[in-house]
Order: sequence, then C-alpha cells, then structure tokens
Amino acid sequence: MTLAPEELKTCCATAYASAAARFLLGNSFHPGGAALTARLIRALQVGASATVVDVASGPGTSAIQLADETGCSVVGVDLSPQSIDAARRAAEAVGLGERVRFVEGDAEALPFEAESMDGALCECALCTFPDKRAATRELARVLRPGTRLALADVTARGERLPRELTGLQAWVACIADARPLEGIAALLWEAGLAIEIAERHDQALRDLLDRIDARLQLAGIARSFGEGVERARELTASARAAVAGGLLGYGVFVAAKR
Amino acid sequence: MARAGKTQRKVDRDEVFLEYTRSICPVCKRVLDAEVSVRDNRVLLRKRCPEHGRFEALVYSDAELYMAQQRYNKPGTLPLEFQTEVRDGCPLDCGMCPDHKQHACLAIVEVNSGCNLDCPICFADSGHQPDGFSLTYDQVEFMLDRFVAAEGDPEVVQFSGGEPTIHPRILDFIALAQAKGICSVMLNTNGLRIARDRRFVRDLGRLKPHVYLQFDGFELETHLTIRGKDLRADKQSALEACAEQGMTVTLVAAIEKGVNEHELGDIVRFAVAHPAVRAIAFQPVTHSGRHVEFDPLERLTNADVMKLIAAQVPEWYRLDDFVPVPCCFPSCRSMSYAFVDGDTVVPFTRLIEIDDYLDYLSNRVIPDPDVRHALERMFSSSATPGAERTLLACESCGIDLPAQLDDLEDKVFMIIVQDFQDPYTLNVRQLMKCCVVEITPGGRLIPFCAYNSVGYREQVRAQLSGVDVEPVVPNAAPLQPLLQLTRHGSKTAADGGRP
Repeated sequence: MTLAPEELKTCCATAYASAAARFLLGNSFHPGGAALTARLIRALQVGASATVVDVASGPGTSAIQLADETGCSVVGVDLSPQSIDAARRAAEAVGLGERVRFVEGDAEALPFEAESMDGALCECALCTFPDKRAATRELARVLRPGTRLALADVTARGERLPRELTGLQAWVACIADARPLEGIAALLWEAGLAIEIAERHDQALRDLLDRIDARLQLAGIARSFGEGVERARELTASARAAVAGGLLGYGVFVAAKR
Repeated sequence: MARAGKTQRKVDRDEVFLEYTRSICPVCKRVLDAEVSVRDNRVLLRKRCPEHGRFEALVYSDAELYMAQQRYNKPGTLPLEFQTEVRDGCPLDCGMCPDHKQHACLAIVEVNSGCNLDCPICFADSGHQPDGFSLTYDQVEFMLDRFVAAEGDPEVVQFSGGEPTIHPRILDFIALAQAKGICSVMLNTNGLRIARDRRFVRDLGRLKPHVYLQFDGFELETHLTIRGKDLRADKQSALEACAEQGMTVTLVAAIEKGVNEHELGDIVRFAVAHPAVRAIAFQPVTHSGRHVEFDPLERLTNADVMKLIAAQVPEWYRLDDFVPVPCCFPSCRSMSYAFVDGDTVVPFTRLIEIDDYLDYLSNRVIPDPDVRHALERMFSSSATPGAERTLLACESCGIDLPAQLDDLEDKVFMIIVQDFQDPYTLNVRQLMKCCVVEITPGGRLIPFCAYNSVGYREQVRAQLSGVDVEPVVPNAAPLQPLLQLTRHGSKTAADGGRP
C-alpha cells in the first residue's frame, strides 16, 4: 500500500460517489440491502425523539430508511461532497429534507459534541477507514451512555487473503483492510462499547458479489469500461472464492455505550 | 387400572386451511363456496356441488412460493367506466362490475370463430366450422371505442380469434386500433398466413403489429398432439417473414404435461438466438374449450414451468429470476427480463433488488418511486417487448446504466409464464383482480378466465352466430362418465349434467 492514509480515505469516498460505483452497486452500497439495514435499525431501539448519526452515509439510502422507519432525526456524515449533495437531494425527494441532514465530515474526527447522539449507524465502511481505532473511538464518543451503535462490515482473515485482494482496488472494495469478526469486536470493546449482538451474514456478501458480477457482465455487453471489466470480474471471482473458503465474510454488531 | 380397549386419540388434518372463497361447478357452472388449502406443499382448491359432488384441483404446485408471492400485490387502479352493475355477485356480473379490483391492462378482440386449423387443443373451440361468426368493421370499432372509454389511453389490444389473419379486414382492424391511440397492438396468430402469403406479410409489415405467434416446440409429436399437424416448416417461415419485415415476435407456447414440457429449454435457446423474437409466453394449457383429457390434480402450474426452465437452461435462468406480476393476482403470472448478447444472458433480477420495489405489503420506504413505477410497467400484463425502456431511461434508475447501454433495447429478452384459470381452478379472489379482458360486441369487458370458464364465451358465440352453443365442460378424467362430444370438438355434459 503506497498511499498515505489521507489519500486513501479520499480515494474511497470518491470511488463510492462515482457513476461506476453506482452502476455496480445500485442504490444500496452494502451487502444485505434494505432488509439487513432494517435489522440494524430495529436493533438501535430509537423512537421519534432520537437523533441518530449515520457514519459514511454515501447516497443517503440507509439514513432515509432509518428516518422513515423510526420517525427519528438523522445526521449523515460522509467525506465526499458529491455524496452529500446526492443524499440531500434524495432526502428532499421523499419529503424528509427536514429530518434527515447531511454534513461533510471525517469518521475519524466526527463534527459533533460528545454524548450528543441517541444512536449510530455505520454500514460497510469501517473497513475503509485507515485508522480504525480512531473511528470506533469517535463513534463511542458521540453516543450518549446506554445508547447503541449498529455496525455492519466486511470481515476478513487478512493474513490468509490471496495477493490480488490486498491491493488498492481491493481496499476500495472494502476487502484489503477488513478485520476478522473478533477483531472488530475487540475494537468496539476497546472504544468503550459493550457488544450485545455479533453475527455472521456471509450470504449477504455472496449475494452482493453475484450482483456485482452480473452488472460487470452487463457492462461487457455494453462494451463499456473496456478491458477493466475482465479484470474486475477476476477480482470478483477471487472474492467469491475467498467467501467460499471462509476467508471473507460479513458481520453485524450491535453494541451499547458502557 | 389401564383399560384393555382402544383409547381414542384426536388426529390432525393433513392440510393447512388457507382461504374460504367462491368458485363454480365445472359441470353446471353454478356458483359454489370453495376452500383453498395446502397439502404436501401443493395449493389445492376444493368445492362441492349439491348436484355434481366434490371437485378438487391443483392451483399451484409450490405452496411456499405461492405464499411468498402474495406480497407482490399492487393496489388496483379504477377504470374510467364500469360496464355492468353488481347484482348477483362474482363471477356472474362481468364485466367489469364496480366490485372489480383492477382496470384492464390488455384487451382481446376475437374477430372470428373460424380457423384454418382444427387443433386438438383450443380454448376458443375454433376450427373449420360452418356455424361461426365474423365481426364487422363497425362492430370492431364499437368494441375498441368501449375499451378506450373505459381506459382513456389503453395499453394493449390483442386481435385474436379463431384465426384473425383469415378475417378479410384484419389489416383494417389493426390500423383502426393504432389510429385510436392504443399503445401496443398485437396479432395473435398460428402464423400460417404469415408463412404462406407474401402479399399479406408485406401489408402487415407496414402496420407492424407485435406478432404473438403460437409456437409449442420442435418435435413432431408435440405438433401432432397440440395442433394436429406438423407445422414446423410453417413456423420457421413465419418467423423469417417477420424478421424480414422488422416485426417483433412473442413465441406463445402452450405447455401440456407429458407432451412438451421437456422442450422449454430448447424454445428458450431458439428464441434468444432468433433475430425477430423478443419474448416467450409459456402457458400451461388452459383446460377450457377443447383439450386433451387431463387430471385436475396433476396439471402443470406456473411453478412447474419456471422450475423446468431453470432446470433445462441452468446456465441462464434460476427460479428466482422470475418475478410475480403485481398488477394481476401475483400467482397468475410471473415474468423475467434479461439482457442477452450471444451466449451471455443476464437476468434483471441479478442487477437490481426487485423485492425492494415491488413488495406492497411491508410498509417501508421505497428507495426510488420512479424506479418502482418503471418496474411496474415492466412486470405487468400489458408489458410488451420494449417495456423496459422506462427503466432504462430513468435518470435515477436503480441500474444506472452507462451511456452505452441506451441502445441495448434490442438486447432485452422477456419470458412470461401465465397460468389461466379453468372451471376447476377458478377462484373469484384471483378473478376479481384479473387485468386481461375479452371485449364483447356488446361492449362489455369480461375477465379472460371468467369468459372461458363461466359460460360467457358460449353466450357471446350463440348471440353472434345465431346458433345455440352447448355449455362446455372440462375434459377432466373424473368427469369422463358424464361427458359427450360437442360439434366443435369440446365436451359437454350429457343430459345437461344430470347425474
């Protein structure tokens, strides 16, 4: 890895705001789609009076779902100005512009006061933050005691991943710096959060990889992305093999601030 | 002290009771109460006629799938006009009466009863018959006007018969429907005239209706059983003619158990490769009108057809690539769209989480209302090839296609799996949301399955031809002792069904 941490963060945020990412991932940028997001939302146990932060909110899909399903207020944080713009437009389009706000910000230095939030959501993003300890500490810092973080992320046995899954492309694809399930649990514990739920959802990752592969095939039919399609399909195939071999997976955590 | 005698133990029923509804007696057509239950993962409909006894029929061969489909149930849309009043209750007030839950997505105009074939299987009981009818231009215009009045801007009209291409004014009818602003005009044909009459094809090519071509398979035995003749060369010629004229085609395959269910995969591969073919409609044979003897408990249902496709073309399709159609009752019709390019077939279901948009029961936010709307147009009874355009044109489309995909329209392929109800399986719950209708010369819009099952078809034919038509009874195995042949080849109950 030759990029500095700051460059890496920006690279990820920019990649996810790009048309190619939208094409490959659709509206829901993470494994499990709206159904798994709904599970995380229920686990937060928040009502209409709560304010919840969605860290790395991307196109705003989950933030909007969170506000819609619980009636709470949501602040989405993302490093990419394009994503912030798109998310704002999406919230306004469904009449939730008042209750769902989006601000530019860094997950490793959240622009909120300590103990100002009644819940935090972080989906498939921890793996892309270079300083994971800082990010989890920040998540814990902004939560009021007793409130919860619902987090989903790619899990990986990094030391055993094949080489092609450890490069920059793979970093952007949430794989290269992903941690094992117990590694994430340890990070959360060290940050001051008590784990209530830790479970595997590897099938969700398998389904997402299938979707990405189908979309790459479609890009092949359209002769778009040139030769990149074949390379990307090889990467996808390698990731699928890693999931099948138990090296790569998807995990869901619910943790309360101690 | 224990008694030596038998102790009586309560025993559970062997089925799960789902629903209480109404149906008809397949023999005398009187309206009966009916029960829908699940036994051994099969959905069954059961009813009892005081005169003709108990009837049981298979509705769906995979109960788990049937239940899962229920959430794809879109609230219906009110038509601009109803043609009848509610008087005797469903299914006796067709149509449409104000109790009907959906407008008409697709309307059929049967322009004649005569046909240049005498197929052993024909729900319309058509053929070389001296006692039929042939509609006049004025009649067809009146019928189209009633449909336009009910719908405003109607989606699809399908000219059918009989065999519509042998009607001397069929070209005028197609032009008339197009002039009335009907979005898509289809011609439902056996293809013989298209195969054999060059001048007719040229004239048809100027109007370019979408051709809905009967196409049941490739084997001689299939043709002989379903059509009574080897029509293989004619089907190929008809397809070539359509390709030459730039007319798009849906292949319509009637599938009968033990006859051609093994040919589904070959039909799919052929259709994907043929330049004129954009879609296939697979239909388990409708056991209304004329058909070969069948067992109501062992008939083919949509679930079987979809599983057979997945089993015979595993490199392209999976069972979950078929999406229940929300405009009608979701278990009546399922569809799949795919992008195709040579040997690459990518079903839409692999590209976009359709559940996120077409689940109408769970009360959650729809990621994008425009995408839902576009998907509703695609997965609908009025969908004709090209229906995916709205989705592909959609700015915020869930697939968000790269610009190069704009000209992919001719690379989209559609499979429809549609099971029509017959007098055995008729369930008013499904019928009340049916969106495929027959227009009668009196201007009524009668749901297709009611038209074929309840006796409306016989009434309309008698009225138009001036010759009495015997009430048709399904050629079902358990009814054999009651049945006798009608002069059109279908069956009727001897002595009016008196046992």
